[in-house]
Amino acid sequence: MLHLRAGNSITISFLVGFGMLSVYAQTRGAAGSCPFDSVEFHKCALERAKTFKPPRTADGRPDFHGYWTSRHNGAVWDIEPRKGQGSLVPATTGVIVDPPDRKIPYQPWALVKRNELRSRPFDDPKGHCAPSPPPRDSFTNYGLQIVQPIGYVVILYEQMHDYRIIPTGGRARLPEAIKLWHPESVGHWEGNTLVVDNRNNNGKDWFEPSGNFQTENTHVVERYTMIDRDTIHFEARIEDPTLYTKPWTIALAFTRNKESGYYQLEFACYEGERDMQHYTEEQGRGRSNAFTEPAQKQ
Amino acid sequence: MKFLLMKTAAVVAVFLFASDARAQSYSPPRTPSGEPDLQGIWQVRNTANWDIQHHAGSYKTPAGLGVVVDPADGSIPYQPWAMEKKKQNFADRATADPVEKCFLAGVPRTMYLPFPFQILQTPEEVMILSEYVHTVRWIPLKKLDRYPGYESWMGDPRGHWEGNTLVVESIGFNDQTWFDYAGNFHSGALKTTERFTRTAPDTITYEVTIEDPEVFTRPWKMRMPLYLHKDMNQILEYECFIYAQEIR
Repeated sequence: MLHLRAGNSITISFLVGFGMLSVYAQTRGAAGSCPFDSVEFHKCALERAKTFKPPRTADGRPDFHGYWTSRHNGAVWDIEPRKGQGSLVPATTGVIVDPPDRKIPYQPWALVKRNELRSRPFDDPKGHCAPSPPPRDSFTNYGLQIVQPIGYVVILYEQMHDYRIIPTGGRARLPEAIKLWHPESVGHWEGNTLVVDNRNNNGKDWFEPSGNFQTENTHVVERYTMIDRDTIHFEARIEDPTLYTKPWTIALAFTRNKESGYYQLEFACYEGERDMQHYTEEQGRGRSNAFTEPAQKQ
Repeated sequence: MKFLLMKTAAVVAVFLFASDARAQSYSPPRTPSGEPDLQGIWQVRNTANWDIQHHAGSYKTPAGLGVVVDPADGSIPYQPWAMEKKKQNFADRATADPVEKCFLAGVPRTMYLPFPFQILQTPEEVMILSEYVHTVRWIPLKKLDRYPGYESWMGDPRGHWEGNTLVVESIGFNDQTWFDYAGNFHSGALKTTERFTRTAPDTITYEVTIEDPEVFTRPWKMRMPLYLHKDMNQILEYECFIYAQEIR
């Protein structure tokens, strides 16, 4: 398995969530010391965070250093609740914890747009090896590695070899004109919580292959809090007045990967992209609109 | 642009002769845990991405001095068959160069692409993160057994400190990357040994030894300075293949 993953530069199914179903199956049950279901987990984690004293780095920051597994509750397929689909896409209760109906509070036109995109999962940029902006980079069947050089928190995502270099000492923001696949992430510590503000999003990516989309105005603020030695409570608040009727919040757990001798493998995506044979002609075989017709263009 | 590069090449040549003496006399800054501090945003100012050997100008390639310092004449010690393949690669370079295809550039080429990269350190690891297709090099400093059969674009690195020098040994490469646009190449038997030494406040002397008995008659070596970016507080991105599809 290791050799296969490293050597063949993994081909990507148009449902990026497909693959490593066994890992997904293992994530059912509990998330560390809290229940697995996102709403229950979120409620429990907020309580745990009030009393848990995290391990510290030499310079006194909460220490997240190590390898983590995203317990994404099927968010790689759909962040909203969804019935299972065939043998590949399992039923999910999603990762949305607010609003209470667990659905994205779209403006009416945006819901129409979402449903239209949902019928074209092959246009999901990630299916074509695009990098993932936050919070999508946190929904993954592959590894997460957190490293804490002085003044930074660095997150290395095995999937797509995405990385984020998050400064925590304050920094002037980029000019608004610079729009990025990897939005600028700037962090600060609030007690034991790493708060990360993400701006300069180019708005071209989707949240998952189910057509939930974003715009250049989508603003994501994340909170990372350790709730026991082996569990991080990940929370993201998403706002975009051009798209949603109000801000909404997702939550999920990262649990520590304790496998001895483990390190992340190279996930070379575009170099090995040979999956076009799975696209029919009408699905745009050989030429997807993923990069030429960004979701925000109406 | 060309004039600038040629002037830079001349400066590089002077620097290469002076670097050994400077490395011995300069004391680099240190991290709080005591390791030499290589952290910052770095980039070369040379033409190695286009041709690592001495070269005249050609389309998309400014003339420039090579960065091969051993053999002393600056030529790569190819086996005869490999010299023929290199010539074919050169002829096909406009379409066959992996970097023209937006693929990961491999080692050592990632270190002399015309893109900045950021070095970050902890006592346990060194990270080299490049703007070019968000390339990651995570280099463990502690003992960590390699996965058997690992084959990759960027190799499987292990690092350690020798005095003020970070030494990084990598194997586990595929045979798909080139050393430059000119078609200089290697096989999957490639082993690289890189040495990063901060030799002035704004300079790392970068040296890499190339071993590949399937392609070369003996090991050979490149050396070049990496310069500190003083006007950048972050690296951004170059999502090569997406941009290529956007203009298609």
